[in-house]
Amino acid sequence: MAAAAVAVAEPKTKYDRQLRIWGDQGQAALEKASICLLNSGPTGTEALKNLVLGGIGSVTVVDGSKVEPSDLGNNFLLNKECLGQSRAQSVCSFLQELNDAVKVKYVEESPGTMIDTNPSFFSQFTVVIATQLPESSLLKLDGICRAADIVLVAARSYGLTGLVRVSVKEHCVIESKPDHFLDDLRLHNPWTELKQFAKSIDICDKDPVVHKHTPYIVILVRLAEKWADAHDGKLPSTRQEKREFKDLIRAHMLNVDEENYKEAVESSYKVSVTPGISTEIRQIIDDSSSEVNLSSSDFWVLVAALKEFIANEGNGDLPLEGTIPDMTSQTEYYVSLQKIYQAKAETDCLAMEHRVKNILKRIGRHPDSISRAYIKTFCKNARKLRVCRYRSMEEEFNAPVISEVQKYFADEDSCFAMNFYILLRAVDRLAANYSRLPGIFDRLKVAAVSVLSDMGLNGTSLSEDLVTEVCRFAGAEIHPVAAFIGGVASQEVIKLVTKQFVPLMGTFIFNGIDLKSQVLAL
Amino acid sequence: MASAASEEAVKAAKVLMVGAGGIGCELLKTLALTGFSDIHLIDLDTIEVSNLNRQFLFRKSHVGQSKAHVARDAVLKFRPKINISSYHANVKDAQFNVDFFKQFNVVLNGLDNLDARRHVNRLCLAAEVPLVESGTTGFLGQVTVHVKGKTECYECQPKPVPKSYPVCTITSTPSKFVHCIVWAKDLLFAKLFGDKNQDNDLNVHSKDGSSSKSDVFERDVDEDLDQYARRIYDHVFGYNIEVALDNEETWKNRRRPTPVYIRDTLPEETVQQNGTSRECNNGHEEPSAMASLGFRNPQEIWTLADNSRVFLETLKLFFEKRQKEIGNLIFDKDDQLAVELVTSAANIRAHSFGIPLHSLFEAKGVAGNIVHAVATTNAMIAGLIVIEAVKVLQGDYKNYRMTYCLEHAKRKMLLMPVEPFEPNESCYVCSETPLLLDVNTKTTKLREVIDKIIKSKLGMNLPLVMIGSTLVFEDGDGLEEDEAANYALNLEKVLAELPAPVINGTKLTVEDFQQELSCSINIKHREEFDEEKEPDGMVLSGWSAPVEKQVTSNGGKLAASSSSAHDTVGDASANPGTKRKLDEVLESKENCDASSSAQVIEDDDDTIMLDEDPTLLKKKRSQ
Repeated sequence: MAAAAVAVAEPKTKYDRQLRIWGDQGQAALEKASICLLNSGPTGTEALKNLVLGGIGSVTVVDGSKVEPSDLGNNFLLNKECLGQSRAQSVCSFLQELNDAVKVKYVEESPGTMIDTNPSFFSQFTVVIATQLPESSLLKLDGICRAADIVLVAARSYGLTGLVRVSVKEHCVIESKPDHFLDDLRLHNPWTELKQFAKSIDICDKDPVVHKHTPYIVILVRLAEKWADAHDGKLPSTRQEKREFKDLIRAHMLNVDEENYKEAVESSYKVSVTPGISTEIRQIIDDSSSEVNLSSSDFWVLVAALKEFIANEGNGDLPLEGTIPDMTSQTEYYVSLQKIYQAKAETDCLAMEHRVKNILKRIGRHPDSISRAYIKTFCKNARKLRVCRYRSMEEEFNAPVISEVQKYFADEDSCFAMNFYILLRAVDRLAANYSRLPGIFDRLKVAAVSVLSDMGLNGTSLSEDLVTEVCRFAGAEIHPVAAFIGGVASQEVIKLVTKQFVPLMGTFIFNGIDLKSQVLAL
Repeated sequence: MASAASEEAVKAAKVLMVGAGGIGCELLKTLALTGFSDIHLIDLDTIEVSNLNRQFLFRKSHVGQSKAHVARDAVLKFRPKINISSYHANVKDAQFNVDFFKQFNVVLNGLDNLDARRHVNRLCLAAEVPLVESGTTGFLGQVTVHVKGKTECYECQPKPVPKSYPVCTITSTPSKFVHCIVWAKDLLFAKLFGDKNQDNDLNVHSKDGSSSKSDVFERDVDEDLDQYARRIYDHVFGYNIEVALDNEETWKNRRRPTPVYIRDTLPEETVQQNGTSRECNNGHEEPSAMASLGFRNPQEIWTLADNSRVFLETLKLFFEKRQKEIGNLIFDKDDQLAVELVTSAANIRAHSFGIPLHSLFEAKGVAGNIVHAVATTNAMIAGLIVIEAVKVLQGDYKNYRMTYCLEHAKRKMLLMPVEPFEPNESCYVCSETPLLLDVNTKTTKLREVIDKIIKSKLGMNLPLVMIGSTLVFEDGDGLEEDEAANYALNLEKVLAELPAPVINGTKLTVEDFQQELSCSINIKHREEFDEEKEPDGMVLSGWSAPVEKQVTSNGGKLAASSSSAHDTVGDASANPGTKRKLDEVLESKENCDASSSAQVIEDDDDTIMLDEDPTLLKKKRSQ
């Protein structure tokens, strides 16, 4: 038994540091995912290496080339003995060494041929990572992936520049894990139990022990009520009123160093939050996908339930998150508050569950086909839901939004990124026409101008410096850039597979000359 | 890069890498593939299982071996012609002196603690070698460049340091789970298995008459192991709490804790009943109470009874399986049995004080102050370090950047490159500004000033202290016996009674020969110190005071808090224009100032302790 327990614990130990980022759920999703990599150059293998280390379910490398001396210069996964052998096979044997829990497979075939002749091959994967692929192949692949609802991540390193682009019709995120988010305390609109609890504590108690251990939530609920009584039922909203509200709090202090009152002053803005639903969430609720049917995803079924909840039990509010931050308090008060918030969150979640079941019945699905745990996570994160939709590459290439593109060209921060974007596309055209990469300034510039005119951007001028730089790069896949771009690509895959965090919303362009980066929505 | 000039610079360069961990593995590979051919590598760590999710040069079979050597061998396998010298050693060792540093064109840090980073910074300043510094936490990362005279040094800006707690909170009045963890780790664990000669604040009241032993933690030669474990349990969770309860003054404003005795928590279980597991652990596996008790899920919160079972079992396993180590164990977050003991003890104490219990997974995060880490960020950061290093080698200082890698793209940017700031004129490390120390010269011993200020705050390794021309203390080997005896005597003297008395207005000169750092401290005599806010009983100003960071108990994000004192004197940012720009970019969030929120001081396998070294923690309160 002991040995078995250790065997169970061991892989967890290996992943301990990353479990602290995305938890068991995230790790389980990674272990179920299958990834396809097109082209096993440095950018691709770097991306794959990171995923294999993290314990991704399976990887399949598609590459038809043989290992050449030039590969040894920039690809860590290859050594002299590999020369002349299949690059896909050589790379895979090394990847397998990194983690024996991952299934590592390869197909000796050129990605271009695979895309042209065997499109159904791609439907078996969770994510396809396409590296160093020319525009024409990428365009076809994107069509294939979209039709099969497969996530595509395109990555490319070119000299000191590089690009990562996510493409998928729709990606819904429940656990978006934003950096900073206001605690869900409902101080502006306390429910009965919270109000009752706040009333049960006398904030004017002259006993200094009670007074300095009254949690700030109670102080704010009580004083907000007092304020509202004196202001036609309204809460402080203008700068002046907010200042006066702080003074009101300070006036209740018995002693200048009462930590709980200091916290109340610091948190006083939490009373003045805009009540109701944020615009982002409003947009999701009002999305046509929330009109659910049998083919709707679980996410949208939950959104449909959320919409009903807000209109009914929620009284215009979302389900309560149910946790409270640390604060100065007597332990008993704190625990009581915790329980009050938890209880309300559970009630809200239960109401959501009922609604979900009814909706499922209505659309002809089994009422228990969405798990409680999923509903709970959804309720806890209801304020942080995100829906990411990406334009197809077909749209990007053939129907550019001229006004956006012009804006990027005019903007100081994104101008370089737009230049690189055009130049990389020009490089592809040259490669298609001359089957060799550019080294000649004039030729590249002509190609770039034709890209611009095809986009309907005649007369837009490119930075001559950047044209020179791109000529100088001459297609080299240098390792530091490949490591960076591969790192970004694998990070995006992790976000997309775990459905945690928000993936990059557009084409990410990196400039290794001054380390700038931009995300362009194209 | 990608040019003949940069290729030449790379080929000719001799680089020093400090750290072969998460960033280090990626960096060594990237350096080799960029054409670097003379690389020296220092790391004192050995490989752990929890490194394998990202430190890709290591395999399971390497666990326990030197990171530096294994990393070198792995890279030489595919790049046999380049020169990599590895040192399985501490960068603070005397062999890595200024002359050693002088042989390099650039130093690249992939370190996991503030202390070593500061040490390397000083050596780089003294040897005039450029330093590229880096760190990652989860999806966050940063790369900064430090070149003497051109940019600020690593210590020009305040750095977040681990939060420390007043001793009385830990020993008598815990109110958060982290307090219980600190107690279990730095006091209880140290008392049970650490160096017996170390001072320790754990209350060791022995019951009158019940025992003749001087140390209740000592196990008699013939004492039954079960009996011993239960005796310790009752002593630390029961008896000690009873004693504390006698002090009515303490509990006037607080909830009173409940003593916990084994007869109440595990009434059914008689002595010896836990012996069933012993045969299962046949020596091949690392001993683990979870394994022998059949607990599988580290994310589950155990009941009080289960915590008690784990506690007793860990004690027994330590004595049965690891007897030899007892007496010189130091808590290590990768030591399963140690984590089990600390988790169970912290939980039992938490129960006593009405604090919510936590799972082993969470407790481990708090106790080890574990920084989450992932391969992707390390790979990205290593790429950026090399790009920066190539610029440094070419002297392209106009293009140097300090780059912050964010978790969420802000204003469509995932990277925040900022032009380096100019050196901070009031930095005591790279300029010669004197510091000011408020201290009670009549009651404070020289030892306290050396431990709490000179070593702990100023980060000196082997300090020397002079008052005028009188040498009162010197550290290090090679001292004459009478000198050493004299210095040892001085350590125990209060400042005002030193051979050259230190009083209000005295100027101390402190030097570290290894770091080639010298600074002066003006003394200001003060009698009163606030126990809570000035727990050291002395206050240093005129330096970039570190910002305390808070560690949340759920293993969540590290939030830098700006609430602690910034007692920086003078204009801290010599280049306010650039600084403001960074502020804008980072959007001043609630409670976060730009420098602290953007700074990531750790690499992944961070070993920064949650509180200060227990030997420094002791008697923090003023007299």
